Amino acid sequence: MTAKRIPRLGIGGPVGSGKTMLIEKIVPVLAAKGYNAGIVSNDVVSREDADRMRHNLATEQGILSEDLVIGLATGGCPHTAVREDPSMNISIIEEMESKYNYLDLIIIESGGDNITTTFSPALADYFIYIIDVSGGDKYPRKRGLGIETCDLLVINKIDLAPHVGADLTIMERDAKAVRGDKPYVFVNSMTGQGIAQVTEHIIRDILFESPPKTVAKN
Amino acid sequence: MSTDDDDATMDAADLSMMQLSDSFFPTGMYSMSNGLEAIFYSGRKIKAEELRELVKTYLEYQIGPADCTALGIAYEHAARSNLLKLLEVDRAIFSMKLVQEIRDASIRSGTQLVRCIRSFSDNKILGQYDDAIRGGQAFGPYPVALAVAANAFLIPKEKAALVMLYSFSVSIVGAALRLGMLQHFDGQKVIDELKPTIVKVTKANINRPIEGMWQFAPSIDIIQISHERMNSKMFIT
Ligand SMILES: Nc1nc2c(ncn2[C@@H]2O[C@H](COP(=O)(O)OP(=O)(O)OP(=O)(O)O)[C@@H](O)[C@H]2O)c(=O)[nH]1
Ligand SMILES: [Mg+2]
Repeated sequence: MTAKRIPRLGIGGPVGSGKTMLIEKIVPVLAAKGYNAGIVSNDVVSREDADRMRHNLATEQGILSEDLVIGLATGGCPHTAVREDPSMNISIIEEMESKYNYLDLIIIESGGDNITTTFSPALADYFIYIIDVSGGDKYPRKRGLGIETCDLLVINKIDLAPHVGADLTIMERDAKAVRGDKPYVFVNSMTGQGIAQVTEHIIRDILFESPPKTVAKN
Repeated sequence: MSTDDDDATMDAADLSMMQLSDSFFPTGMYSMSNGLEAIFYSGRKIKAEELRELVKTYLEYQIGPADCTALGIAYEHAARSNLLKLLEVDRAIFSMKLVQEIRDASIRSGTQLVRCIRSFSDNKILGQYDDAIRGGQAFGPYPVALAVAANAFLIPKEKAALVMLYSFSVSIVGAALRLGMLQHFDGQKVIDELKPTIVKVTKANINRPIEGMWQFAPSIDIIQISHERMNSKMFIT
């Protein structure tokens, strides 16, 4: 008996761009609407992110159970682990799917990496790429597979833009030029600005507006 | 008398062998150091010769008498389409993996290997074994999964064992390279020097019975356990 595939959201982006914090912000918003998520965090050199999310979301906020945040090492190859050989991630997710079939969504954080990261479609159904403004407004113009091909581009840390001389109108113009019609969202994860929009995309484009499973059952 | 058809079949089996031993084949082995990372972080500097001796110890006292023997037995059962016997060796090798991290990694690699090949092969016993894993009657440890896959690909048993011991050696040497313990030419030299051991270990273990499976490498077990407890790590094992 194989468990049914639970919709999977991949989140990738350069080191420190705010992947973990984005997850910490969207999971409570989803939970408030009744959606349960599990998390697999691919960390490059530690379990710090998984431990942080487990502590914050499970232990402190009690939104999910502690075994629903799993950390995974990638042998120093974070892009390989989500793209050309996602076997360890898939294996862990399949275990999650059969143990926790009530989940509405599984979120996979890739290890921080360079701008060519993409997710294997076998691993993730929807791919958010998150960059921040602190590298300057030349991204997204410089492209890279992540920025070009992701389903949703998140431009994070917009509060820092004035401090690093990044012009958000340039970033917006270039995101449109590089991505055509595909969506992008400006976010400040510190204040929560833009988080509602990201969550709306998730509910509409990955969950297809289906009601939370635990509610549907009742 | 060998025909062109026979030659073509053998060539295809050789190619399948290369496919399975390629580090590009998706089994996640690039993310395993089998405990080497714990040695690295203990601060011990090891030279290329020491790394070679370490891998030899793994092969002679752990992977050879346990995994290689399991592979040989599983291959025979797969060739005879005996699922029940296959499940017996599946359990035996699973229960011999003492360290949880190593045990989990082995079944995750094995499961994904079987699943990958099933996506393009209609080999019957491979399909049955995959169903047994999905149904919870089998664990799917890597040596058994590889044996079933090799049988499906018509790769001879001994060659399948070479694939396993070679891939294992490459994954440790690869980890050493990424940890900066070796430079790239040294890595290839170590692999070259391991070839006689790989051949010898295969011969010694490929035809032994299930009762004869053993392993004894306590210092390696301890290293692997200490890896399991490390807080900050780059490798799964
Ligand atoms: N000012 C500001 N800081 C932010 C914002 N979002 C995240 N940060 C900070 O950026 C740092 C890195 O955030 P993380 O969420 O850990 O980034 P990450 O992408 O998960 O990092 P890795 O997984 O290590 O690659 C943290 O110190 C956050 O507090 C933001 O919108 N504005
Ligand atoms: Mg992170």
